[in-house]
Amino acid sequence: MCVLCGQDFVAQVHWTDRHLEDRARAAAPGSDPVAYQGDRRRDRAHRVVLTNEILCHYGLKLDDWGGSKYVIRDRKGRSEIVQDLGSLWPAAERLAGRALDPLDPTLRQVLADERALPVAGGG
Amino acid sequence: MAAGRSTRPVTIVTGFLGSGKTTLLGGVLSEPSMSNTAVLVNEFGEVGLDHHLLRRVDERAVLLGNGCVCCTTREDLVDALLELLDLDQRGEIPRLDRVVVETTGLADPAPILHTVFVDPVLQHHFSVDLVLTTVDAVNGDLHLDRNPESVKQIAAADKIVVTKTDAAGPEAVRGLISRLGAINPSARVFEAAFGEMDAGELFRQDGAVSHAAARATAVEPHDVGETHSVSLTFDGAVDWAAFGIWLSMLLHTRGEDVLRVKGLLDVGKAGPVVVNGVQHTIHPPEHLDRWPDEDHRSRIVLITKEIRPEELLGSLEAFGGLLGARPSPLGAGHVVPSQ
Repeated sequence: MCVLCGQDFVAQVHWTDRHLEDRARAAAPGSDPVAYQGDRRRDRAHRVVLTNEILCHYGLKLDDWGGSKYVIRDRKGRSEIVQDLGSLWPAAERLAGRALDPLDPTLRQVLADERALPVAGGG
Repeated sequence: MAAGRSTRPVTIVTGFLGSGKTTLLGGVLSEPSMSNTAVLVNEFGEVGLDHHLLRRVDERAVLLGNGCVCCTTREDLVDALLELLDLDQRGEIPRLDRVVVETTGLADPAPILHTVFVDPVLQHHFSVDLVLTTVDAVNGDLHLDRNPESVKQIAAADKIVVTKTDAAGPEAVRGLISRLGAINPSARVFEAAFGEMDAGELFRQDGAVSHAAARATAVEPHDVGETHSVSLTFDGAVDWAAFGIWLSMLLHTRGEDVLRVKGLLDVGKAGPVVVNGVQHTIHPPEHLDRWPDEDHRSRIVLITKEIRPEELLGSLEAFGGLLGARPSPLGAGHVVPSQ
């Protein structure tokens, strides 16, 4: 961990973050860092919204934490800091106390019902 | 310094015991175009490989946190590849064009991929370009029936070489090839009689085109024993973030049952994203600038164990609200092509 900024060095980039990482590496020196950061923030915010649509069915909520990490919380106030989607699911499983399976028929049914009845202002 | 982003390709050669891996390599490596290839083998078999850059590695696996077999790091491989990198960068060996890793017959190729992708140094210098699997035309069916490892090897393959076709009848060969196509519709299948094979053909990187193979061989969902494969597409552009959520969630809970994910995904940009994963290990997805051919639809092949194709399609359908597109099986009504 870096003592100045409290960030740890991430040697391993999760495959879902790869497109951002690759763009950052490919950017020529002197290119506008703000443009890239804007996209990165937007991408993270979008991912948080989408992930919460799944996590809400398990009583969990995800937030972006300073643009570098995510925080996942349950309704009892327990929380964990996660780096990426790779570490999110194990943490979610610990907090929810059960496996989060996308093939679970109950989850599929709930999601299908949601689609059938679009709630105004849901997003 | 000038090397920049170029990485050295690593080819994994796997295949069941006695399926002709070493014989095939022996023939291929003797070609002049393969002279700057280093070979890492697990054991010196009866068929000696005569090659100046041959290294033997003892399988040393380090099991990580969750104890999942495919997420182990092969320490022996890390050491061997670092040594080769060192020699190459010091200029003590001729320029290293390629590394071929020959696994033992019982090995699962996933940990090798994992090792190259995860190691903090190796990931910047090496990339796995393809997994080659050899299948013996005489005993192939038997191995597939009895050994779950050999099914994993087929599922992990980008190219499959059916060896000893000279010793088996044409009927048996055809039957085996169609079975291989059913297990892994995304792999290209070659035949090699007497272990002879053209190196160019075998090691040529087909790039993104190889990932489009799902379309050419699109078949109905296939069930071979407990292994199922399904080729699917989406009716529109898929939200990449949502697909990442779905796939990472699936791999976390059911990763060991997902043998392979491979294909091109339309994410609404000029080019598709190349998705390629073996069990838990996903290749760094490549975002292409343009499509490799005229067909601009997503096409993904999923090979699973225990999970039925209907469950996968149902799950993607339920996630449709997030993905922004609905899945549908590709090419229903086609039959298994007989090459």
